Amino acid sequence: MRLGRERRCELLAASAPGRLVALADRCLEDGSVSLDLRSGPAVGTVALEVREPVLGQRFILGDVLVTSAEVEWRGKRGWATLLGRDRAAALAAAICDAELEAGGPLSAEVEGLCADTEAALRAAAREEESELAETVVRFEELL
Amino acid sequence: MGYAAARGGIDAIVAAEELVRRKRDEGSSPKLEVGQLIERLGLAVDRVVGEGGLWAPELAAFALRQTEGDVIEAVHLLRAYRSTLPRLAHGLVVEMAELEILRRIVPAYRTPPGPQLLGRTLDYVGRILDTGGSSKARPGTPSVGAEPAVATGERTDVPRLYAESVTNRPKQSNGAPLERHPGRLLNVLASMDLLVDHPRDDDPEPFDITAQPVRPGLPRSAILSVMARAETGALVNLWYRNVLGPDGYIHEVTLGEVRHGRVPVRVLHPHTERPVTIGTVRVTEVEAIEDLNGPDEQRDRFDVGYGLCFGHNERKAIAMANLDIAVRRDQGATMLEQSVIMTTDGLDASGFLEHLKLPHYVTFRSMVDRKRAVRAASPVNGRARTGSPQPGPAPAAGPVAGSTAGGDCADAQPAGSPVLPLGATE
Repeated sequence: MRLGRERRCELLAASAPGRLVALADRCLEDGSVSLDLRSGPAVGTVALEVREPVLGQRFILGDVLVTSAEVEWRGKRGWATLLGRDRAAALAAAICDAELEAGGPLSAEVEGLCADTEAALRAAAREEESELAETVVRFEELL
Repeated sequence: MGYAAARGGIDAIVAAEELVRRKRDEGSSPKLEVGQLIERLGLAVDRVVGEGGLWAPELAAFALRQTEGDVIEAVHLLRAYRSTLPRLAHGLVVEMAELEILRRIVPAYRTPPGPQLLGRTLDYVGRILDTGGSSKARPGTPSVGAEPAVATGERTDVPRLYAESVTNRPKQSNGAPLERHPGRLLNVLASMDLLVDHPRDDDPEPFDITAQPVRPGLPRSAILSVMARAETGALVNLWYRNVLGPDGYIHEVTLGEVRHGRVPVRVLHPHTERPVTIGTVRVTEVEAIEDLNGPDEQRDRFDVGYGLCFGHNERKAIAMANLDIAVRRDQGATMLEQSVIMTTDGLDASGFLEHLKLPHYVTFRSMVDRKRAVRAASPVNGRARTGSPQPGPAPAAGPVAGSTAGGDCADAQPAGSPVLPLGATE
């Protein structure tokens, strides 16, 4: 599987924090390379803007709590922004992103993590859909 | 309006705070875990998230625990925390057709495009108090006090996007795929030429209520933002007053769409400048159909109001949608827009209310002084001007409003003077 850069970032942002951090720690075991923190990991917000469907006007619904990090690793930039307040996970995701971008020795494992995440998301979506489908209703009219 | 500060009392304040902390954190029952709040009191968490204007369920749960379930105080904590955060990015605009439904009903129309999906709801069951006897805990459900599956709102062994919804649920099989992005009743009405047309050729930047002061005369984008983070009860009350209250706005209320679902949060990748979906948030969305009946309105058509808020809070979104169309129809003829903007923010209202509990000794003393001045200037001891035209016995002399206020009056007296009763002349 060869993921596009954006899809990779999406899947890393959605990955289980525990697995992300463990994999990033393994990447960092390569002592011949130094990690350069370009920004973060920083906790902040992203403004969520929507376009309502009635008049087609935009408005700001609110802010979303995120954590963002950017690193340089093996000569490549890695970036991650994920929901919530988890500096370790954001930093780990950025390292994994750079590891794959640079074709590092653990690239296949980063791809594997992304594949596992994608599979887990699909399974969860199927399960959710199955549950929801049971609640589809067609009320009858009393005339 | 100015307030004179008081000082002192630090020891008592610290002791009072310690009383709160001890009862909350060291009670006889097991400590409430944040994961329990998210899983089992999710609607309360959603309300804090919505009124706090910050999608951060885990922090909202922390806030609820810290405030012992006081929603408005929890909102206060969340807003205060948010004010310390940098805004790292502006998300790409979400088109609401992207909303993936978890629940969707169309009360106005039996066969809308797409399914009527009840989802998680108790709308159709009796309000019968469950004292625990009918609770059905699944095998493997942690008992009270055990380490919950969700310790801080996010499990570490499942993907983030679905961490809050993945539990040990039984598998269900299903046939046809469920339509999760159904069309809207709005479009059905439009196709029947029953909707007021609102042509626009502009796309103004939305007003940011977190960066600019909110005052009447704002664009609709600001009013929608204000209502999206308004206090739920305030919106419901204002809506109810408009529908049934003394303002003369009684009109038909019919709901088009009522949806609860997820929308994506997207930002631009800093290197490729292409969109990246960093996660999803849950929202409640409502469209309220308005039966236009004003003399200057298109009475052969409907118009639609819109409501949207974070989390699952249908009451709020319904009130918001109805107030949106009410404000638009009102066009500034009454105080409605001003009421929406200036009186529905829970933090504003409760902050003003709560401050009344702080010492106002000097303020009140000046009020007492004014009363005395009025009385001193009155030819008949001032009583004829105070709404008590009936002659009668003078009120019993004594300290003003009990010993506490008497103490305030004592502050106003020269040192060594006795406390003067209000009825006395100085």
